[in-house]
Parts: sequence; structure tokens; C-alpha cells
Amino acid sequence: MMVVKNLSFTYGKGTAHECRVLEDVSFEINEGEFIGLIGSSGSGKTTLIKHLNGLLKADSGDILFQGRSIYDKNYVLSNLRKEVGLVFQYPEQQLFKSTVLGDVAFGPQNLGMSKEEAEKAAKDSLKLVGMDESDYYVSPLELSGGQKRCVAIAGVLAMNPKILVMDEPAAGLDPGTRDMIYRLVNKIKRERNISIMLVSHHMEDVAEYADKVLVMYKNKLVRTGTVREIFSQTEYLKSIGIGVPQITSVTERLIKAGLDLGHPAVTVDEAEELICRELNRLKGKGKDE
Amino acid sequence: MIRIKDLIHRYTVWESETKKSKKTVLDGISLDIPSGQFVAILGANGSGKSTLAKHLNVLLLPDEGTIWIDGKKTADKEALWEIRGRIGMVFQNPDNQIIGTSVEEDVAFEPENKNLDPEMIRERVENSLKEVGLFHKRKSSPFRLSGGQKQRVAIAGVLAGMHECIVLDEPTAMLDPGARKEVLQVIRNLNRQRGITIILITHHTDEVIDADKIILMDKGRIVEVGTPKEIFRNPELLKQMKMDVPQVTELAYRLHARGIPIELPVLTENQLIDRIMAVKEQFMKGEDLENDGR
Amino acid sequence: MIRDITIGQYYAEDSVIHTLDPRTKLMGVLIYVVALFLVKNSYVYFIFLALILMLYRVSKVPLSFLLKGLRGIILLLIFTFIFRLNSTPGAEIAHIWKITVTEEGMAKAISLTSRIALMIVGASLLSYTTTPKEMADGMEKAFSFLEKLHIPIHDMAVIVMIAFRFIPIMLEEMNVLMDAQAARGVEFDKCSILKKCKNVFTLLMPLFLSTVRRASDLAMAMEARGYSGDGKTSKMYPLAYKHCDTMAYIGMAGLLIIIIALRIIM
Repeated sequence: MMVVKNLSFTYGKGTAHECRVLEDVSFEINEGEFIGLIGSSGSGKTTLIKHLNGLLKADSGDILFQGRSIYDKNYVLSNLRKEVGLVFQYPEQQLFKSTVLGDVAFGPQNLGMSKEEAEKAAKDSLKLVGMDESDYYVSPLELSGGQKRCVAIAGVLAMNPKILVMDEPAAGLDPGTRDMIYRLVNKIKRERNISIMLVSHHMEDVAEYADKVLVMYKNKLVRTGTVREIFSQTEYLKSIGIGVPQITSVTERLIKAGLDLGHPAVTVDEAEELICRELNRLKGKGKDE
Repeated sequence: MIRIKDLIHRYTVWESETKKSKKTVLDGISLDIPSGQFVAILGANGSGKSTLAKHLNVLLLPDEGTIWIDGKKTADKEALWEIRGRIGMVFQNPDNQIIGTSVEEDVAFEPENKNLDPEMIRERVENSLKEVGLFHKRKSSPFRLSGGQKQRVAIAGVLAGMHECIVLDEPTAMLDPGARKEVLQVIRNLNRQRGITIILITHHTDEVIDADKIILMDKGRIVEVGTPKEIFRNPELLKQMKMDVPQVTELAYRLHARGIPIELPVLTENQLIDRIMAVKEQFMKGEDLENDGR
Repeated sequence: MIRDITIGQYYAEDSVIHTLDPRTKLMGVLIYVVALFLVKNSYVYFIFLALILMLYRVSKVPLSFLLKGLRGIILLLIFTFIFRLNSTPGAEIAHIWKITVTEEGMAKAISLTSRIALMIVGASLLSYTTTPKEMADGMEKAFSFLEKLHIPIHDMAVIVMIAFRFIPIMLEEMNVLMDAQAARGVEFDKCSILKKCKNVFTLLMPLFLSTVRRASDLAMAMEARGYSGDGKTSKMYPLAYKHCDTMAYIGMAGLLIIIIALRIIM
């Protein structure tokens, strides 16, 4: 659906503060994919996602959305903004309308929908994120932290994007609320059948939810692969300042210590199965002897 | 030594322009914190843990009940500055607590307010910045620092105030995992090497596994007080409180539930590996250990 | 656009001008501006130009920074120039479109534009060589006699410092907000002035809220760190005049005398 080809970008080009932020980045986003984008702070993740809906324009390289280059002269960027929704960090701080519904309808209205259409789209999204109808006309400021964030996400969803890009959607939330947000992201993906790109520092979350993982390091995309392919490279990830999920690290160390698990686990469920199977096999063997 | 007895705190909530009601945020907290300990207060959003922290530094006053800091009541106006001199505080958002336009200026803020000698201020600033490993950044603008560095500046700022106890109110909530580690390392060193009493407020369970004592809070009450071993023995309780459990703790708990004789609770990777390998040895020897580890 | 604003102009270098007491530098700017207003003959501006170039040289601030300071007010300069050119009666030398250029007008326009330009360039040097903190400290000490009249000079200095600390943070926040709204279909770059104003308005609300939040957090942090608003405070680097400050004051007096003398003679 979206193809990113050899993207490069430099901040403040031609000034004293010139700073390379992206170098030759290429990847694809396919329909219905859940992609995790990981990398330490300052590796260029946020800059990369700002390119995906045209907020920043690359110096070189190309982005094709549904087969057309977004850098084409005739390409209407506002159409792209509708198709690629971007949820920034701490999005609740960006709410500004006096009612929840008004805020969520802001995006669709900007894209040229009539007030009725926009409100309908807004209500659909609010329903999807689980907001109560009684809260539609209250001020967003009166909601709890988790609810505010849901409203902010609904504000982007209301534009009906085909790709939803989220920068640390659970940052600063407590574990209960964080789980709620991730469950919501999964629900959105299922019900709207859209692609999701999740930027996160939390490897446990990426391992749990993503299908495909992109790894950025020093402005470059250094690895692309499935969750298992990526997280089995424990040493490499550690060397570039990214951890792996604790469970991956510990199962790998168990294998090294001589417990034959086959491969490191990426989730607790998987580790539980692998270890139980292996230990019970050894137990049976031990008894036979 | 901090002593809290039957602390109650209520917020006023305006339901409409004219109607107001009271919401109880802390509902009868009683607690003793001996000097020199590393105490963690664990709880979800809205559990009242941050409100409790503000009481310790007299940023709030009790509606009912009493807090004694080294024998001085926080409600006693005369003791205000003495108590604040004993207890320093680090807040969640590093951007909103750094006052200076350069790192050393910020660290000097408290000693300057205390009207100390310029020479003494410079010495304290230097020592505090060295303690958090940021002496080389002393002339930098805080704006140019990473999140973890900013939070370390905030800690240095409190260190320069020479407090006996530092309360940290979710200091890592806005940081990425790398920065969290870096800040926690500094906090641990302050406790172990300087003997400063640390009260760490957090919702990250993995940060509290080497605390001396964990206080688990929910809905304005203390649910449980215990060592990490005691608290993590039962992950179900933590989950009910909407808390995370470290993956290794969770795994060990589940393995145990499926009949693997592993000793609970497991808090670290090393513990898990040692114990699983021990189970492996037992199994290989064919020993029947049905009742072990229960 | 708003995104291009850069604040925090301090240019870190190790020069005599950087080490001067901020009070000396403030006084210097004051005398410099007064002297500029005393100038009658436009040729005297060359003395100022030479002086400024020399000071920039001594301060080790690159000359590109001098031009950067002017770039911000280029519209003002052009406007002043054209306005002066047009509205002064006298011997006509040219007539371009609706503007009548007179000899007197030309002289006035050049004189006034150079005066403004020189003033800005001089004041910029102060901000390139003095940190906001030094500036605040300097003001505080220079005006400390006002404390006796119960004017809270110390508090004002703290306010100035906090303002400088938070301006870059708020600008960054503004950029984030603009990106977030652009992602929701607001087009900042290509739309009418009216729409632009409306768009800026939608930014102000969240910015205002976050500022209130920051202010209350900051107040708490300051209180927790012993800031009480009253009571004596001290300084990590107390201000004290040094040898070079004395020299600078002598230089300033000299400049003032020369300019006054020139005014009387010419």
C-alpha cells in the first residue's frame, strides 16, 4: 500500500545547524500489517513518521502511496493526510475544542466534510474507542488521562485513515491504562481493517502486538523482519542501545545454560509453553532411567 | 524518620458552578519510614501516591491525621523550612522543574535560596553534578539535554540542597527505558553510598525489585506493605491493582501453577535461570519432588 | 513563519566582552544608544560602524551574527527608509512612481536607517555576549536600590530567567502542535491571512493550557527547593567589577565626550 524508497532527510539544510536525520531508508507497509518501529531516542523514528503523511519532505528518495508518488507535482497532500493518520506523543495535550465531539470532528471538517458527515464520522470513532455517549458534549479537560488519550486517537481515526501511525501511544500511562490503549489499537486494526505502525521504546509491547519490526539506528533503517527474526538478535540489539523483551533475554540465556528450548521466546505465553514442554520431557526421561 | 498516622486528604471537586463536593484521595494512611531506607510506593494512576508525596514535603497539609518528620509536625508552620530542608523532592516532568537557563545555574538554585556563601555554593554544585555524572555538562542549556540527563540535573539540584531524604514522584514516567535505567542507577547509588533515604513513587514494578520496602497503594489506601519478595509472591494481587509484573516473575508464577517445582517469587533474570536450571538438575536425576517448592 | 524564530542568542566564547560585568555592558548599550541620538552629521555614523566592527572582532562573535540581527528587522528598515524618503520636502532629485525623492529626504532616510540598524547591531552584541542569567543578575544588582522602595527586583529577575528558560520549550511545543494539527488537515502554509489567524487561534488554547500546567508544576518545584519570595538569597557567581570593567567605563565616557564634542563642532 505504501512503499518508501531510499528516503533521506537533513534538518536545516544549508545552515550552520545542518543535521542529517534520515539516510537511505526503504521499507513497505502492506495492507492490514501491524508494524513496530523501534530504535533508541534520537535515531530518527519521529522524523521518519512525519514523512509518511507529508509533514516533512525528503531531500531525496520517494514515497509511493497506492502506487502514486506523494512528491508528484499534482499530488494533493491533504488527501494523503486523510489516508495516513498520525497520532503524536502525548496527543491529549493537543486537544483544544470545548467538546469531545467537536474536537474529534475537527479533522474530518478540515478535510471538507459537512458538519453532519463530520459528526457522524466522529461518533463512529468515539464509539470505536469506547467513549460513552454521555461524554460527547463535555469538555475534554474533564476526562481522565486514559480517556483523553482515547479521544485524541479518535480525532485521527475520524478521518478514516488506511494507515494509522502512532508515536508512543502509551507513554506516561500506568500499566492498566497502557494495556487498555493497546487493546484498543488491536481492536481498531481488526474493526477498521487498517495498517498500524507503532513507534515504541517498549520491546515487550512490540513483541506482543506487532507482526513486523523495523529497527532504526543512527538515522538508518538497520533491520527489518518478523518479531522473532528481530528479537532473536539479542546481542546486536543490545549493542545499538535497544533492549529486547526480558523474556527473550532470559530464554536465550537459558538456552546458553543448556536448557534445550529450541529458540528464544518473545512472549511470556510462548516461554511458558517452551519451558514446560522441555522440563516435562526431561522429567519423563529422568524417571525412565 | 518519617511517621504518618491516619492521614486523610480530600480534594474539592466542583460539580457545577455552585455545587461542590469533596473527594477523598488519601483515606487513613498510617506508615513508618525509618531513615536510610529505600522505600518504593507503588500504585496506579489515581491511587493517591503522588498526593502522599506532596504531603511529605509540606506542599499539601493533612485534612485529618498527622505527619511527623523527625519528630516535627508538618502542620506546624514554624517547622516548614526545617522540614523542607530535610526532605527534597524530584517531580515527574523534567522540563517543568528545571529553573536555570544553564545546568549549573539550576543546581545552584536551592543553595542560593538558602543564602549560602558563593564558594560553598560552587562546591556543592560541583559535587552534586559529579555525583550524577553531569559535571562536564555544567554550562549546557537544559534544553539541549536528553530526558534522562534532565532528570539527573533535577536530582543534582535536590542533592545540592543536602537533604537527608529525597522523595521522587514518578521520576521515570516520561522517560524511555534507557534513560530510566540511567536515572535509577543514580537513585540507587544515592541510597547505598550516601545513605540518603529514598522514597520512590512509581508505577513500574521492575524499578522496585531491590527496594527495602514496597508500599502498595490503591484508591487512597495502603493495600500491602512488604519486602519485594513478599509483594511479588502473588502477582494476581498486583494485577488486580492494574500493576505490571516483571515478565520473569510472571513466568515463574505460571510455571509453578503448572506443577513445576520452582521457588517463588522470582524477581530477576539471574534468579529465574538459577532456579530453572536447579529444577532441570532435579528432573534429570529423576527425583520425585511433587511437594517441593510449595 | 513562527517556526523560524530562534531565541537564546547567546554565543559562547571566551573574550573580554564576555567576561565584562553585565552591568557594564548594560550601561555600555545605554550610552551607545544615547550617543547615537546625539549624532547630527551622518558621517559620524562611520565612527559607530568602526566601533561596532571592532567590538564584534574583540568579542569573537562572527560577523554573520551581526547580519543575522539585521535580517529580523529588514522590513522595518526598508519601511523607514521609504517613508523618510517620501515625506521630506526639499529639492527634488528624482520621481519614482508615487515617491518623490528629495535631497533632504535622501539624507534623512540614510541617517535614520543607519541609526536604527546601528542600534540593533549594538544591542544584539549584548545578547550575544551575555547569558540571560547574567543579564537578570546585572539588572537586579543595578536596580537593587529600588528594593528599598519595596519594588520586588529579585522576583523580577527570577521571572526574567524563567521566561528565558521556557521560551524555547514553548516554541518547540508550538511546533508539535502545528504538526499535530497539520496531520489533522489544517494547512498552515497555503491559506488566506484570515484563515491563518484562525489557525493560530486554535494553537493558543492548548498552548495556554500547557503553560498553566507548567506554571503550577514549576511553582511547586520552586517552593520545594526553598524559594520563598522573601528572605535573603545569595549568588553562585556574585557580581563584582574587575579591572576590565573600569577600562570599559573609561572608554564609554571617552566615546560620549567625543560625540558631544563633535556635535558642538560640526
